[in-house]
Amino acid sequence: MNNPIIRTEKLTKVYDSGYRTVALQQVDLQIPKGSLSCIMGPSGHGKSTLLHLIGGLDRPSSGKVFLDDVELTAVTADRLTEIRARKLGFVFQFFNLLPVLTALENVQVAMMLAGISKREQEERAAELLKLVGLEDKLRARPNQLSGGQRQRVAIARALANDPEILLMDEPSGNLDSRSEAELLEQIGKVNAQGKTVVIVTHSEKVAEMAQQIIYIRDGQLVLGKEIKEQLTMGERV
Amino acid sequence: MNYFKLTWKNITRRKSRFFFTLSAIAVGIASLVTLLSLGSGLETEIRKQADVLGANLVVTPRGWCAYEQISVLTGETLPEAIPNADVEKIAALEGLTAFPYLTQRTALKNQPVPLIGILPTAMKQFKNWQIDQGRYVLDKANVVVGSGIAKQFELASGDLLRVRGQEFSISGILQEVGNRDDLAIYMDFATAQKLYAVGDKVSFIAVKVDDITRIDHYILQIQEVANVEVSSDKQLLKSVLAIVGSVGSALKLVAAVAILAAFFGIVNTMMTAIYERRREIGILQAIGAKKRTIFSLFLCESACYGLLGGIVGVVVGFVFSWFAAPYIGQNEFTAFLGSEQSVQLFNAGITLKALVFSVLVSALAGVYPARQACKLSPVEAISYE
Ligand SMILES: Nc1ncnc2c1ncn2[C@@H]1O[C@H](COP(=O)(O)OP(=O)(O)O)[C@@H](O)[C@H]1O
Ligand SMILES: [Mg+2]
Repeated sequence: MNNPIIRTEKLTKVYDSGYRTVALQQVDLQIPKGSLSCIMGPSGHGKSTLLHLIGGLDRPSSGKVFLDDVELTAVTADRLTEIRARKLGFVFQFFNLLPVLTALENVQVAMMLAGISKREQEERAAELLKLVGLEDKLRARPNQLSGGQRQRVAIARALANDPEILLMDEPSGNLDSRSEAELLEQIGKVNAQGKTVVIVTHSEKVAEMAQQIIYIRDGQLVLGKEIKEQLTMGERV
Repeated sequence: MNYFKLTWKNITRRKSRFFFTLSAIAVGIASLVTLLSLGSGLETEIRKQADVLGANLVVTPRGWCAYEQISVLTGETLPEAIPNADVEKIAALEGLTAFPYLTQRTALKNQPVPLIGILPTAMKQFKNWQIDQGRYVLDKANVVVGSGIAKQFELASGDLLRVRGQEFSISGILQEVGNRDDLAIYMDFATAQKLYAVGDKVSFIAVKVDDITRIDHYILQIQEVANVEVSSDKQLLKSVLAIVGSVGSALKLVAAVAILAAFFGIVNTMMTAIYERRREIGILQAIGAKKRTIFSLFLCESACYGLLGGIVGVVVGFVFSWFAAPYIGQNEFTAFLGSEQSVQLFNAGITLKALVFSVLVSALAGVYPARQACKLSPVEAISYE
């Protein structure tokens, strides 16, 4: 349980489009296999940036990311894409689904990209949507679904290729409390299956479930005493 | 889910944009198909007509332009310009036979019909005409009629017809020969000259030579005895084809402009689509689409426009040339097209060429946008609300 599946070394990200923004500074981080971890912190302080870097969606300005001892920051773009397709599932903050496709098709696309046959795609996609409680919405388009339902489709899709790690960016950000509770239940189930889950969130409820909380301020990890001051929940590792 | 289904869902998501982009490429391809099908019909028809003449040399008055030379092949009315004296001098030369033509026009039931003055016996032998009905008599009171005209105007041997106020009897109907010779009234040469008051002039002279290898020698000889222009049938064919070619170039320009416009239409559509879908591209990349996949996906979309637009264009093009052919046929330049059968309703070669071209052009139009698409970074595409 305690050997890390994700590890970062002095992870730094500087955006330089017009003016310089240091979004992440010297972040050293370990996420144990099978854990449920939360990334918390104020808006604009680098939470999404961190999630993107450990998910191999972006390259750091300096520092390293290891995933199962593979140095993500050293592999080619194509290899990185393969790793994303097989090992990682994403649920993004704002926009997740392709609007022209039905819920079922959205889940299928992820499997199509991994080269899975059409028959298997259909079966498995239906199964996953059932798992997230959307068995009656298979043919619905994203614009016919509520925000919570869309997030659940996104979770189903993230699980499509049976990834080891699920990365979520404020999945409950704009959900009512009932939807949020449902979402938490899903997340709990997924984590119980042994998958490593990393969630960026502001939600105390999510933080309650977490075994580890990573608190970020101004692109830096906040440790020890400071954490206790700033978190009402405290760290529970 | 497969890549084609995804492509299809993507290109049809904006119905009106899909329709307009498709129309643009369809118009371009339709004009190309029209050009190709009319053009190829035109050329075969010209070659056929050149054969109909059956002569090795054509003697025309000096100073005729290529426009009038075309008319030699099409059987249009021509100014009469070579005096009989020259005809006789040329005919008297060793090793060749001369057939003077006086091409005029008369009317049957208010429709123009070519009337050609010929030397009856010589011409019959030269053309190897057979009689279908009646007898082959051409003189002051008798004419013969080609089978096509006879059929069209329901004429039979023994019928009377009026030419310039004078009555003629149809002595016979020629057997069908399957070319333009079927579409004329033939009159004795001298009678026609008198009737049309052209003095002792002829329009042009077809010449058949005994020894085809000495053609240059005959040309010189003819030009020694008469002040005329002499061209071989090959030269004539060449100059006529050159003119048709220049008409063709103009059409080609139209097709090229249409296709160029369609090309930029597709570039524009694809750029817009990529801008609108940059987030979706980010999502696709995040869930495992390689740059190569994104590139092919968009290239496929634009090629798809080419395939669909091409199919529509081919159909429209053939339909259009089918309907346009008779009208174009009334133009002197393209009078060869008089008969519709020279334009094919469907031609597999042209279809294939047009479709391949259409797909290639569209795919090419998609290259730059598709490259832009796969350069997008997944993060930038999904980061903002
Ligand atoms: N693509 C980008 N270009 C420039 N600056 C960016 C970009 N993405 C994020 N930033 C900046 O980096 C900082 C951290 O952003 P982010 O990781 O999205 O914060 P959070 O997710 O914690 O709200 C912010 O100041 C943001 O403006
Ligand atoms: Mg964020």
